[in-house]
Amino acid sequence: MNNTVVRNIIRFFVLLAFQGLFLKRVSEGWVSNTLYINIFLYPLFIMLLPLQTPRTGVLLLSFLMGICVDMFYDSLGVHAAALTAMGYARALFLSLYEPREGYKLNALPTPADLGLNWFLKYSASMLGLHLLVYFSVDAFSPVYILGILTRTVFTFVATMIAILIFVFIFSPRR
Amino acid sequence: MRGLLQLFAAYGNFLLFGFLELLALVLVVNFNQRQGAIWENSWGMATAGLDQSADWLGEQWALRDELIKLQGENIRLMEQLDNARYSNAVRQDTFLRDSSEQLFSYIGANVISNTTISTANSIRLNKGGEHGVRPNMGVISTDGIVGVVRAVTPHFSQVMSLLHRETRIKAAIARSGYFGTLTWDGKSSRFMQLEAIPKHAALEKGDTVITSGYSQLFPEGLPIGLIEGFNLDGGGNFYNIKIKLRNDLNKVRYVYVIENEMWKEHKELDKAANE
Repeated sequence: MNNTVVRNIIRFFVLLAFQGLFLKRVSEGWVSNTLYINIFLYPLFIMLLPLQTPRTGVLLLSFLMGICVDMFYDSLGVHAAALTAMGYARALFLSLYEPREGYKLNALPTPADLGLNWFLKYSASMLGLHLLVYFSVDAFSPVYILGILTRTVFTFVATMIAILIFVFIFSPRR
Repeated sequence: MRGLLQLFAAYGNFLLFGFLELLALVLVVNFNQRQGAIWENSWGMATAGLDQSADWLGEQWALRDELIKLQGENIRLMEQLDNARYSNAVRQDTFLRDSSEQLFSYIGANVISNTTISTANSIRLNKGGEHGVRPNMGVISTDGIVGVVRAVTPHFSQVMSLLHRETRIKAAIARSGYFGTLTWDGKSSRFMQLEAIPKHAALEKGDTVITSGYSQLFPEGLPIGLIEGFNLDGGGNFYNIKIKLRNDLNKVRYVYVIENEMWKEHKELDKAANE
């Protein structure tokens, strides 16, 4: 248990630093007038929290992570709003995709524990929601709906690839 | 307190979620220039609309006050008209000052319910016995007559609308002075019938029909409507006259109840005559 907490704390800082210091610069170079590609790896922290994490804790951690990323992006509140929405929806998606025999005690939401198929469904739903909320709050007006959707689609594809690479390289066990 | 705790136990996560989202959005509009500008703009438009609605509401309230004042003003003027006063003059004399007494006085009232679609329509007023309304008082609006009070409670009164099968009101043709009885056939709320005008009376389409002053309900000379058309039944001695009401009873809102100050005397006279 202790080990899990430490691992998650480390993952929090690693993902935060990776997002804020590296991915931010990388994807900024790719954004042009026609192409909108960002990579948002930090939601992975919320996705990989242990299944029995209390929902209140998930919400607070989401908000904290969001605010910290906002510090790097100088967009106070935007990432926080999106990630909090995702954190709240986590419990809904978990119960939606619950296997027939239920979740095993101490299981982690990873491909290793629950299968690649399950993880793809789970992470895609969470990420889709997160990006939609993020770009909506970023644009802040329904008149930009076309831009919101294109950005969401491009970023979704790029980020899903990054998430899978991360999950397979580090193969988180706890 | 306990209810609050239970609420938190049941919806705590949702409330926390809402709170965090709200906090995030407040941060978004306060610390981001673009989103802040959009927010300012939208909020400005919303509050401008709200401001306008509030202004409109305030005006309505002010108008209500104004309306009651004007109603009082109208009553004072109407009570000074000749047809509202009883004249003591027996003969016109240069030296005799015409002394007169109040014959009709008016009570302002608002319509609170009204029907026009049945054959026995009624109107309810927001004034009743406490304000001096009694059964068998006439009711008029600025456009013409409305009906007769039938029943009264301390705060409300029920008026038999003109548009009622049993309506019988004496009405006269202003130009010639012939009088008949105003009735309603239960069809259109804009038209009534004038009966018992003899066939030697000269009629014309567009003649004005007024109250005759032969009843104790209405002062003389109040407008009722115009003659829309008339015909003689084969061999009959009386005209069938169709009258277009001046007063649209479908939209009557503010009315005056007419009090006959000499009602008691009329009753006494009736009694004396019957003995």
